[in-house]
Amino acid sequence: MSAFTLASRDLSMQFPAVLALDSVSVSFKSGEVHGVVGENGAGKSTLMRILSGIQTPTSGEVFISGQPVRLHGVRDAIGRGIAMIHQELDVVDELTVAENIFLGEEITKRGILCSTKMKEETRALLSQLGAKFSADTRVESLSVAGKQLVAVAKALSLNAKVLIMDEPTAVLSEHEADALFSVIEKLKSQGVAIVYISHRLSEVLQICDRITVLRDGRVVRTLERGEADESELASLMVGRPLQDVFPPKSHVHGDAPVLQVRDVSLRDKVEWASFEILPGEIVGIAGLVGSGRTELCESLVGLRPLVGGEVYIQGECCKLRGPKDAMKRGVCYLSEDRKGLGLVLDMNTVENVTLPTLRKFASPFIDKKREKAVVSNWIETLDIRVGDVQAPTLYLSGGNQQKVCLAKWLEVEPRVLILDEPTRGVDVGAKRELYELIARLAREGMACIVVSSELPEIIGLCHRALVMRNGRIVGEVPEPLLTEEAIMRLAAGVDAA
Amino acid sequence: MKRLGVFLQEYGVIVALVALFGVNLLERGTEFLQPEILRNMVSQNAYTGIIAIGMTLVIMTGGIDLSVGSLVALCGAVGIIVLNGVGANEASTTLAIALAGCASLAVGTVAGFLNGFTIAYGRVAPFIVTLAGLAAFRSLALVLGNGGEIRSTVESYKEIGFGGIPIPGLQTAVGDPLIFYWHAILFLLIACFASFLLNRTAFGRHVIAVGANERAAHYSAVNTRRVKVFVYTLTGALTGIAAFTLSAKQNSIGTGSAGLYYELDAIAAVVIGGTSLRGGRGRIWGTVVGVVLLTLITATMTTYRVNTNWQGVVRGAVILIAVLLQRGARAND
Repeated sequence: MSAFTLASRDLSMQFPAVLALDSVSVSFKSGEVHGVVGENGAGKSTLMRILSGIQTPTSGEVFISGQPVRLHGVRDAIGRGIAMIHQELDVVDELTVAENIFLGEEITKRGILCSTKMKEETRALLSQLGAKFSADTRVESLSVAGKQLVAVAKALSLNAKVLIMDEPTAVLSEHEADALFSVIEKLKSQGVAIVYISHRLSEVLQICDRITVLRDGRVVRTLERGEADESELASLMVGRPLQDVFPPKSHVHGDAPVLQVRDVSLRDKVEWASFEILPGEIVGIAGLVGSGRTELCESLVGLRPLVGGEVYIQGECCKLRGPKDAMKRGVCYLSEDRKGLGLVLDMNTVENVTLPTLRKFASPFIDKKREKAVVSNWIETLDIRVGDVQAPTLYLSGGNQQKVCLAKWLEVEPRVLILDEPTRGVDVGAKRELYELIARLAREGMACIVVSSELPEIIGLCHRALVMRNGRIVGEVPEPLLTEEAIMRLAAGVDAA
Repeated sequence: MKRLGVFLQEYGVIVALVALFGVNLLERGTEFLQPEILRNMVSQNAYTGIIAIGMTLVIMTGGIDLSVGSLVALCGAVGIIVLNGVGANEASTTLAIALAGCASLAVGTVAGFLNGFTIAYGRVAPFIVTLAGLAAFRSLALVLGNGGEIRSTVESYKEIGFGGIPIPGLQTAVGDPLIFYWHAILFLLIACFASFLLNRTAFGRHVIAVGANERAAHYSAVNTRRVKVFVYTLTGALTGIAAFTLSAKQNSIGTGSAGLYYELDAIAAVVIGGTSLRGGRGRIWGTVVGVVLLTLITATMTTYRVNTNWQGVVRGAVILIAVLLQRGARAND
């Protein structure tokens, strides 16, 4: 039996501004977990988009089991056994698990749905994956991890031989991630080829049999298991050795809190949250996804109504009516959903950066020269790599998109900056730059709240961490005691008895 | 080939305009180049044109306004009632006309504001709110006009409709000075104003942001509700202006017939002009060309003596082609 392989030879992809892929040759074999790593903009996404039929390459070939093929769209790729699990999971919340899995491929008999048969097959798939929910569960009631399993099951139901997973653990808790790894292990033993894209290098090293490193659209190297450790891998990705990732922590000056949160409650999401933050302080908020971190932060800029409690900004009790109101009082929120809420993707860099502060440039006509000059300044300060400031931000890499979001809020000159998962989907190099930037802002007196699922980030960056569980702030870990264990105990509710 | 496609997506509406113009020129020769005919190209549908400018902004926010046609009848009816009331006294006709214009404008503005307010703060879909407006405004107009026409009793009202600025050096076929009508002048002025608004002001940028990603705009401290209220209010106000000039030209308003299907013509002009119905991208000049193109289509059908009943089919086809071209533009992204 000839093993199934998916391979590419000399794939190149030329976009208007950049050469996204430069003769990339890779091969993915059945029964292996193959990691693909690289900084944002290295070409991972483009490569995967080509292999899953979304995009047509400028030149080069794709081979399936040695045969050159031309992929005509996603359906064609799926028909040939290539399925991709996107970060934004393509599941329909309103349908049940079984309905989702057979969506578009319903089993029918003379036009009538055979739901019994579909449920049976779904049950088989779910047990194969070790899922704990039933075929009749409505997908909206599942956690992100559950939805991910539904997407995997759907791919398997279509006889996927290659499963491309794009940052699957980005939205999972550690426990959920472990469960996913055992699913991956199972699939591997069944002969599925797994292409695993992730920014979390420790994870990639843990589960991958081979790792391909991309940089600037080229394959730097393909490593066998055990050939490199985390820092070597990181060096290969950025092309230079990496020193300390986190900048030194500064001392917090000032004693009057700039923001005080007292007994804030939000419907169904947050109860009795209280904390305060000093100018120049970096406070982390840790907790599992769904613990109410994002909701709490959103309420601090008026995006969610408080059902109880008060928010004081510089000692003044404020009823915030929305982000604009909050912005005027110096509180800004950088959303975790960069593409959906952080940026208007169809608008260009200049327009995105000045969106909240546009009135400053308009009297009443926008002074486009001044606007552009201010944005150019930010581009330089934050080292944002935009080919063309007039091109939609859609085309920027994750790290650069994040910097555009940041520039947008820094232009406001806020007193309190709330950063929700600021480094999610951002590559190692850009991560470090972001950490340095946050540390510098704090040194200059800005109060920063950093929400993160990555504990090393909280520990390395923050002066203290608040831990949330089920909508409550269950504890605070001060600087000298900041360890992953201390945070996880609180987050998971394990009492240190 | 691909370049040609991109060019057509961007400037297809102008290509269509030139092509149709050429066809007419071939068939009718220089007769078609008479200044009078050219002027009518701009002025004939200027009423819908004025409304279409507002509609462009509404559609760019991702909304729609179906109520404008009915609102024309309501604004016109109120305007003429005020005109007849105040103008009963011979001495005050000028005042009467001014007040009629103000009344028409005010009714349109208020109605537009109500539309916008319900959409933005009541969180009802624009389609539903303005569909309700389409029904209600027409009905109110019919009540005012007792189901029929309201005639103006002020003779000089007509002068607004037929008045304008004579174009120097040009004459009509019978030798009178050629007049560029007020409503056509207004149409072009309003288009320039809106174009500036859209491209050069914070408000315009906010319109685009709301249409492209409303939630992201909200998160970016844009007052999205105010933007929405404003575009509908502006469209209502423009509808009031259109109603005033239309009723002046006819010296009456047919409460059952005035403005009928204007909403469809306005939407058609906007879409043909290259504004995306999904919001977030659009252009005022495109709408202006779209309005002229619709007029030219009618003219062409007259040239070829096509039964006017076929007009709808041709318009429908043009709208579909425009949208298909637009979708091409998106797919190429």
